[in-house]
Order: sequence, then structure tokens, then C-alpha cells
Amino acid sequence: MVGQQLVNGLFLGAVYALFALGYTLVFGVLDILNLAHAAIFMLAAFATWSLLGAGVPLLLAAPIAIAGAGLLGILLDRIAFAPLRRRNAPNLIALISSIGMAIIFGAIARGIYGPDERRFTLDFLQAAPFQVGPLTFTAVQLVILANAVVFMVGLGWVIRATPIGRSIRAVAEDRIAAALLGVDLERTIAATFFIASALGGLAGILTALQYNSVQVDMGSQIELKGLAVIVLGGMGSITGAVIGGFIIGMVETLAIVFGLSEWRDAISYGVMFLILILRPTGLFGKRSLRTA
Amino acid sequence: MKRPALLALVALAACALAPAVIGGAPGNAATSKGPAAGKTVKIGVIADRTGSAAVYGVAQDNSYQLANEDLKSGLLDAGGAALTFDVEDAASDGNQVANLFQRFTTDGSALILGPTLSGEARKGDPIAVRAGTAVVGTSTTADGITSLGPCVFRVSLSEAQVIPATIARTKSVWKYKTAALIYGDDNAFTKTDGDIFKAQLEKAGVTIVDTETFHIGDKDFAASLTKIKAAKPDVIVLGALAEEAEKIIQQAATLGIKTHMLGGNGLNSTKIYDYAGPAAAGVVVGAAWYINGNYTGNASFVARYKKKYGSNPDQFAAQAYAAAQLVTQLVRDGKATKDEMCPALHDLRVAQTVLGPIAFDPGRDVKAAPVILQIVKGGFAYFH
Repeated sequence: MVGQQLVNGLFLGAVYALFALGYTLVFGVLDILNLAHAAIFMLAAFATWSLLGAGVPLLLAAPIAIAGAGLLGILLDRIAFAPLRRRNAPNLIALISSIGMAIIFGAIARGIYGPDERRFTLDFLQAAPFQVGPLTFTAVQLVILANAVVFMVGLGWVIRATPIGRSIRAVAEDRIAAALLGVDLERTIAATFFIASALGGLAGILTALQYNSVQVDMGSQIELKGLAVIVLGGMGSITGAVIGGFIIGMVETLAIVFGLSEWRDAISYGVMFLILILRPTGLFGKRSLRTA
Repeated sequence: MKRPALLALVALAACALAPAVIGGAPGNAATSKGPAAGKTVKIGVIADRTGSAAVYGVAQDNSYQLANEDLKSGLLDAGGAALTFDVEDAASDGNQVANLFQRFTTDGSALILGPTLSGEARKGDPIAVRAGTAVVGTSTTADGITSLGPCVFRVSLSEAQVIPATIARTKSVWKYKTAALIYGDDNAFTKTDGDIFKAQLEKAGVTIVDTETFHIGDKDFAASLTKIKAAKPDVIVLGALAEEAEKIIQQAATLGIKTHMLGGNGLNSTKIYDYAGPAAAGVVVGAAWYINGNYTGNASFVARYKKKYGSNPDQFAAQAYAAAQLVTQLVRDGKATKDEMCPALHDLRVAQTVLGPIAFDPGRDVKAAPVILQIVKGGFAYFH
């Protein structure tokens, strides 16, 4: 049982980590919490569902939806954050602005799709699970894990070894100094929002496939978990978001293993508080983007 | 008696009885003129046509629309009164439920039918109680619903009435000694299910080897089900609404769990099989109604529902139609205002409905016997 539970926690944590990466990336660069991230997570899942319904194959529908999520992220920045940035508005205002955008996105989705749960009719979702010794996996779970690993490693590489990654790190370090050194601030911020939102969209699509469920409020649960993950891992830290995601996934699973299913969420946040008491900046400190 | 006269008498009798047979209007002709003839009677209906409880609410709405048609065509006889069921969507949202209760208690509605979920009833029924408007629940099965007020009734069997029979029947067939229980602990209905199942299983001498809880809206049950699998129970008992239940059933199958399953009223939807697929076949549930049940007007109701909507009605549809039949009977008997409805419900001796003849006990719960069913492709079958 323990092996299977670790597998359960791993898959859960992979989705949390993917989702939280978007949060932490934006926070690392702009010092703001983008609470519209969960809405983009949901919209990407609906976009995939719509494209599949229109006969587009999943291997094309998912990349289109992910790219769409990225572009929506740029649009979000232009509408909700850029005007405030130009006026040097306090970060709290940006937070409220992102909540407003989340509500607007949710209302649009509800207007188009209604509040009902939508499902996919993909054959591979019904495929028999794989059995490896005592462990059981489904095809979707393997897709989730593979995507999570590829995109997490890929993001680390982009941030560490590409020109845009260097720009993102420079802006995260000191926005004014980066601008003085010739970094195109707005282009870098747009790239940050594109990457963060695309990752959120990917997490949304994978979550929707995993549970064969697309709903307007599907982001509300993971939104809070994502916040716990980045606080636990360290605000702005990519490594922290990944490790934090897996920790929260494992803690939730282990709470159930130890017969505490009714305390599951409370225990997850309890662990977060405990780590914050021991390390107030989270596991991987603040602004690890600088050294990612 | 001469032969032509005898044939004419038989034909007359057949015409007179037809509405009762096909529409459940007990003993009255479709064109009768009762004490409320000429009056307009509006019934406020609150159903979750959308949202998480839509699997139940859509079926309810369908039945009320069918009832409205039957009132126009005369299949349901309101004694000459202009009776209509005004269905509004609560969207599975507690605040919307409260708003609709406010509306129906102030817009001249004679009675309120609904809402869909017990948790919603706890939020909305007190509004009707304060306004002196009677409420009849058709799918609110949690403990304590009728205790919300002296004019709160329900035509739906409560979980406390159904679960003991479900356990008794399944235990006699499956001979189980141990059980694992999984239920939602943040919803009035599923919490009631969990509490009643626990008490009744223990009363029946069944050892509960594992108890798992979840929250409404949860989608990942793998950890709980892995733990249940390790506990090796003889049966798994579900206290869940359809949206979570079908995921639990499907994920249990994914994990290779082949244990018998049984559940409460939340599983009384044909959508469970539609979404969970063959994994749902054989899951047992106690119900207030069976599609092939030999109740007056039931076969006709099923046929007309299927013709209109292209799918079989489920228990929630039948209970809604039964409530429409009950209200029609009250109106036919002359009860047309909100002040008359509550005493009339208290005084009701019997109403002929698609659920069979129903009446209320002193606690305003419906008096009826449950049936034990199992999920099969396309619906339900008697569990033997």
C-alpha cells in the first residue's frame, strides 16, 4: 500500500508543482501574486474540451490551448498589471486587480459553458491501467508525470541558459538596474506572463484529463493549494515551487494513510505553517530566480 | 342489459378511468370542476437545473414541465383551476436558493416544491417557514429536514428510512462481515449518509475496517481508495452525491478494487453508469421508486417522459412528478392559497402517485417502503 500511496502523492504533487510554477514565476519577477492564474488554468481546460469537440486531435488541441493560455497571460498583464506598473501602484492594488480579472474570466467561462461539469470522450482515458508489481498507473497519470518532468526541467533550462531567461533573472534581481543595462522590461515581463500562464494552462489540461472533468470552478481548490506550495517552497523560487508541490501532494496523501482524511487540508496548511516558523522565507528562500 | 348498452357503459367507464390510469388523477375525470375552478394557482419550484446537482435537478425540471403539459391536456386534473409549476434554477448555489425562496414567499405562490439538495433546504426552508409558506421537498433526504418547520414536508424517503433496508438486503445476499465507509463530511446529505450508514452497519454487526472522508468537489480519491483496498473490506459503502460517487467508482476500478459497493440516495441517478461506465454495474442503492414498479400511472409516466426527453426518468424525476400529482390533488380539492396548503398537507389521507399511494407521518415524512436496486447499463434493476 505504501508504494501505491507514494505514487498517488507523486501524481498529485506533479500537478500542484506545475500550477505553482506559474504563480512563483510572476511573483519572482514582479513581486505580485497573480490570482487570475487559476482562471487561466480553467480556461485552458475548456479550450481543449472545445477543440476536441470540434474534431481537433488532442495532440494539436492541447498545444493550441497552452499557447492560448500563454497569450491570455500577456493580455492579462496588459490589462490588469501594466497600467498599475506604470503608475507605481502598490502591489496590493495589483493583487486586487488580478482577483477582478479572475472573476471576469470566470464569468465569461460561465456565460459560454454554464456551471455544469464537462467531460472528454477520449478512448485513452478509458484504457485499462498498467500494473507494475503492486503499483497501478493509468496512461493519463504517466502523461502527467512525463509532462511535469519535461516542463519543469525545461523551465529551469530556459531560466538558466537562454537570453530571455537571463533577462527574467535580471529583472527579478533589480528591475531598474536591468532596464539601465538594456533589458527590455516590458518584453521580459510579457515573456514571464506567457511562460507562467502556459504552465498554468498545461496544469489545467492535465488535471481535466486526469479526472475527466472540466468545470468553471475547477481552479478554486488548486488555487489555495498553489499558494500553500509557493509559500512553503519560498516565494519566487522555482525549485521551491517544484519541491513544495511534491511535499503538499505527499502530505495530503500521507494524511489519509494515517487515517486523518478529515484533517487532510488542515494538515497540509499545518505543515506550511511549521516550515514557515522554522524558515520564514520558505524552504528555498526568496527570489531564487536570481540563482536558478 | 342489451349488448350495445353494455358496450357503451364499458366505453364510458374506460373514458372516465383513463386519466387516473395514465396520469394518476385519482378517480376524477380530466374535466372536473372542483371548488377551486377558475382560480389561478402558482407553485414555486426550486430545482438545480445547472451546477453540480444538475444530475438530479434536470430530471426534476423535466417532470414539472411534463406536469405542466399534463395539466393543459387534462391528464392531470386540477378541478378547473389554472395550476402551473413555475420552475426556477438554483444553479446548485445556496445563495441562489435563498433568493428564490424569498421570491416564492412573496410572489403569491401557494406552495414551494424543492429545493434539490438537503443543504439547500437547510438554507432556504427557514425563509418559507418564517413567511408561512408550506414546502414539500422531493429529494431532500438528510436528517432533520422536516424539523425545520411545521409546514415542511417531503415526498422523498429519508436516508434514515432507506439505509437500514439497504443494509439488511445486501447483508442477506452478500453475507458481509466487514465494510469500509467513504463519505463527504462537508455536505448535509453526505454527512447524514455517513452517520446513518455507520450506525446501521454497527447495529447489523458489521465491523467497519476503514472510514474515509472527502469534501464536495474533490476529484482525487486514489489515496483513500488505496487505503480502503489495503483494509480488504467485504463491501465499500458510499455516502456521496453523483459527481463524487462516479469518480470514486471509476477510480476504485482503476486501482483494481472489485469489492461490492452500496450507497445512499446520491447514487439514484442513471448518470452514474453514464459517467463511471461498466465499473458502476452492480452497485446497490436503496430507492423510493422503481421504473418498472406496478404503481398506478407509473408506466404511462415513464413512457411519456421517455417520449418527451429521450431517456428514462430516474427516481428524482418520479418524486418530482409525484409531488406535482400531490399538489394537483390538493388544488382539485379546493386548496388554492398558501394559507390552505399547510393544513391540507397535514390532513392528507392518501395521494395516488407514481411512487404509489403516499401519505405523511406525524413528523411530515412520507410513509412508503423503499426498494433495493442495483445499477445496470441504462438504469436500475431489482437487487436479488
